[in-house]
Amino acid sequence: METKVKSACDTCALYNKDGLKRLGIHTDNFDFIVALAGNPNTGKSTVFNALTGLKQHTGNWPGKTVTRAEGGFEYNTEKYKLVDLPGTYSLLSTSEDEEAARDFILFGKPDVTVIVADANRLERNLNLVLQILEITDKAVLCLNLMDEAKRNKVDIDVRTLSRDLGIPVVPTSARFNRGIPELIQTISEIASGKIVCKPHRIKNVPKNIEHAVKTLTVQIEKEFPNIPNSRWIAFRLLEGDKQIINALKTGEFL
Amino acid sequence: MENYSPLLALSIFFIVVALLYVLFRPTKGWFWIIRKAFESSEKVIIEDVLKQLYHFETSNNRVDMKTLVQILDFKNTDIVEAVKKMTINDLIYSESDVLKLTEEGRDYALRIVRVHRLWERYLADKTGIHKKEWHDRAESMEHRLSHDEADELAAHLGHPKFDPHGDPIPTKTGKMASVHGVELPLLPVGSVGKITHIEDEPEVIYKQILAEHIYMGSLLKVIENNSTRIVFESEGEEFKLAPIVAANLTVALIEKEVVIEDNIARLSSLKEDETAKIIGISKENRGESRRRLLDLGFVKGSNVSIDLLNPLGDPNAYLIKGTSIALRKDQASKILIKKD
Amino acid sequence: MKDNNIDNIIELSNELRWQIGDEFHDNLTESIYADAADIVKDSVTTQDGEKRFRLDSKIDKIVTSKIWGFPIMFLILGTVLWLTIVGANYPSSLLASLLLDTVHPLLQSGANSVNMPWWLAGFLIDGVYLAVAWVIAVMLPPMAIFFPMFTLLEDFGYLPRVAFNLDSLFNKSGAHGKQALTMSMGFGCNAAGVVATRIIDSPRERLIAIITNNFSLCNGRWPTQILIATIFIGAVVPESLSSLASLLAVISVAVLGMAFMFGVSWALSKTVLKGEVSTFNLELPPYRPPRFWKTIYTSLIDRTLIVLWRAIVFAAPAGAVIWLISNVHVGDETIAAFLINGMDGFGFLLGLNGVILLAYIVAIPANEIVIPTILMLTVMVTGIGGGAGAGVMFELDSINATGDILRAGGWTLLTAVNLMLFSLLHNPCSTTIYTIYKETNSVKWTVVASIMPVILGFVVTFLVAQVWRLLF
Repeated sequence: METKVKSACDTCALYNKDGLKRLGIHTDNFDFIVALAGNPNTGKSTVFNALTGLKQHTGNWPGKTVTRAEGGFEYNTEKYKLVDLPGTYSLLSTSEDEEAARDFILFGKPDVTVIVADANRLERNLNLVLQILEITDKAVLCLNLMDEAKRNKVDIDVRTLSRDLGIPVVPTSARFNRGIPELIQTISEIASGKIVCKPHRIKNVPKNIEHAVKTLTVQIEKEFPNIPNSRWIAFRLLEGDKQIINALKTGEFL
Repeated sequence: MENYSPLLALSIFFIVVALLYVLFRPTKGWFWIIRKAFESSEKVIIEDVLKQLYHFETSNNRVDMKTLVQILDFKNTDIVEAVKKMTINDLIYSESDVLKLTEEGRDYALRIVRVHRLWERYLADKTGIHKKEWHDRAESMEHRLSHDEADELAAHLGHPKFDPHGDPIPTKTGKMASVHGVELPLLPVGSVGKITHIEDEPEVIYKQILAEHIYMGSLLKVIENNSTRIVFESEGEEFKLAPIVAANLTVALIEKEVVIEDNIARLSSLKEDETAKIIGISKENRGESRRRLLDLGFVKGSNVSIDLLNPLGDPNAYLIKGTSIALRKDQASKILIKKD
Repeated sequence: MKDNNIDNIIELSNELRWQIGDEFHDNLTESIYADAADIVKDSVTTQDGEKRFRLDSKIDKIVTSKIWGFPIMFLILGTVLWLTIVGANYPSSLLASLLLDTVHPLLQSGANSVNMPWWLAGFLIDGVYLAVAWVIAVMLPPMAIFFPMFTLLEDFGYLPRVAFNLDSLFNKSGAHGKQALTMSMGFGCNAAGVVATRIIDSPRERLIAIITNNFSLCNGRWPTQILIATIFIGAVVPESLSSLASLLAVISVAVLGMAFMFGVSWALSKTVLKGEVSTFNLELPPYRPPRFWKTIYTSLIDRTLIVLWRAIVFAAPAGAVIWLISNVHVGDETIAAFLINGMDGFGFLLGLNGVILLAYIVAIPANEIVIPTILMLTVMVTGIGGGAGAGVMFELDSINATGDILRAGGWTLLTAVNLMLFSLLHNPCSTTIYTIYKETNSVKWTVVASIMPVILGFVVTFLVAQVWRLLF
């Protein structure tokens, strides 16, 4: 087994080490729901296990976690229920996994969405990140596999990335438990509203589409004034997503 | 058990197998033939007549009773009977032997065409049925779907504008997008265009086009055009077609002002050690498969190179956005690149 | 009023979609990736450019090379399989002597001492307990060896390369390269193989992999194959060659299974499954050193114990049924004898017999108990000595003695060959059937996957029997 490396945050004043209890599968009476999303093969399950103390196994395969796993942890007397979503490349297609992940972020209304990304392949991972940021504005990017990235000489400017994305970015190496305390601290701050995100919205959209999206968004916002993701709904309507159309009709967005 | 002999047992077995084969073999089995006979009711004949008349009218040709009987694969007397009935019901009328559609008849015909094309689109996008079978399946489905079911199907598919061959799908109200272009043999040497339509009838010619791996939406440049053959270049490969085959391709000329990407090639032609930029995915790659490729990063502008050659030749792994992804040859041939 | 507005929005979206055309999805994905590229340009610097990381690509060059790719693959997979079959022998016999030879008599005498009625003791101890004990003894050791080894390979990242190397073979029969792995997994356990098909994300190819997984000889069937081959096939050749001959026979059956897998995959993809959507992509993930102990722990918990538990749940009632049919009398014969007589004619046509068919029916829950059941029923029907009593499954330590019982039951070389074929080609065990249902969520495909192999088995054994009788 690996030796546990002390994280810088383990000793810092902000992070309350004694306030953490890993709850495993005991997730009754939770205060907050946290969704865990990410591409396949980013070590998402390792992050899940590091947070909950569970030992869920997934292989080195894309698309292995098909069933939804749940676990929990307690931090500073508040209980968090963690839901591990299937690993997907995108939320735009219609495969079972993607629908499950999408539905949870959209209708499950998690208090925080943790997006796990592979620091070595950030560009590819951002595809999913940017899509999730269209749906929810309470998210944190967990930049995992930093140890590998360092070995591969990939250098990431976390501050700039965080500024560009408009959400907190926490570098981690979940295998060695590095960065997990910081991640927990950030999750709690987003959940309690201490951190307010201003997520990036997709920019490079062709003019004719942007125009159509704007027209639709205005109409949607008229109908649902408090909706955070009207633009995303417009995207889905233009794609003819039947599920979203039905959800609109039944008022599931309210 | 007394009169058991292995030979007898074997004979009985083979007789049963032969019987099952005769009954249920694909398309020519008796079971299917009988079922089809039951299906080809008067409704089917009427709808097929309407559809034929519609196609003739849109291509500015005239039909009389004689040609109609020749084209349609029904008993002559049945067709005559059907035409009589259609005249009474004001679907068609004849003008000095030429059969013509009434307003009502045209509406009806459009509805049939709509279902046919929607269903082809459905087969292309949502199922794994091979494109060779689309037409025949749509031929029988067009008589079965009701108006409402067709609307539901259209909604399910996201109200598509074109069928997979490039034919426009009429909307509920009969609105139709227009297809640009002319038949390929009409283009002079040197002209550049984009394939906007591939005709799927007659089947023999369509199969030939499929075998050549000619795709919808491909850019092409005519190199040679005479009465024996038409040669054109497309996506880094050269194609030679007989004029009669080439006539089934509709090509829209591209105006001079539009900059045409030179040396476009198919990803399947990429060599080890070469790098390229992706231009796009061919229209032939549809539905779930297309979405998958887009999600994996095969989008305009991505850099791509060969990561691993397969010991058996197929599939090869391509390096795209930092990850190695294996694609089969027929997929790679539908991704367009520009070599660096 | 509100509904009206929403309908308007939807109508508007339809109108707009018509205007912007069919390329919306493409355009949107392109925009997102363009944004991603901008962001990455801002914040990421790499020294190697976009090159794959060196160690990874070195390993890949070797394991997918024309010369080394296949030898390495056969070596690794062969070793795993060999270690499983050979390595499981010792713990299996240890478990068998503990659970069957020690605990079982203890339970029986315990039941006697508390004056438990004979039928209750028989039902619980000879029926339920024995079947469960048998399944554990035969199933647990190979799975406890196979799954951790397979999982280590999986975690390291080697398995996707196997799929990559073999894909063109599978492509020809309409299947996905990853089926090579679910098939290999099936050599361990079909139920686990079916679960493993989740890695195939194309609907058509996944169904093919699920339906054909049963053609991988699972470790509940290896011992049957080895035993029968040793007794009957080994006996036809000179003694010095007998172990080689029986080994070859078993391998041929396994290879025949693969041939059926390819053939049936092809047929399925061309007929009933041709309408299912088919896509292909295979990501070759980076290699990661597996965390050895953690992997072993989790693969034991996640795979081995779960599959074992399911098998036990199904085996227990099977044991009860086996005991009941051999002890409950209708008229003056037992239900078992009645069924055996009824099926003898059909069994003869297939070159088998009523005992074997009945054993395969009651042993649907677990292939492991087929041989013990056959022995018990044979002794019961023929009335020869030996055995442990009606409804009590048993196996003998001596291979010769086992052979004697079977020969006394009318077995010939043909029976042995056809039993080996039928053991390969029959319905999946109930654990697998249940798993197929859970994975496909479809009664139709579950029925196809269950019935199709039995029909194939009937046809193949029937043809072999007739031709055999014509020739010899």
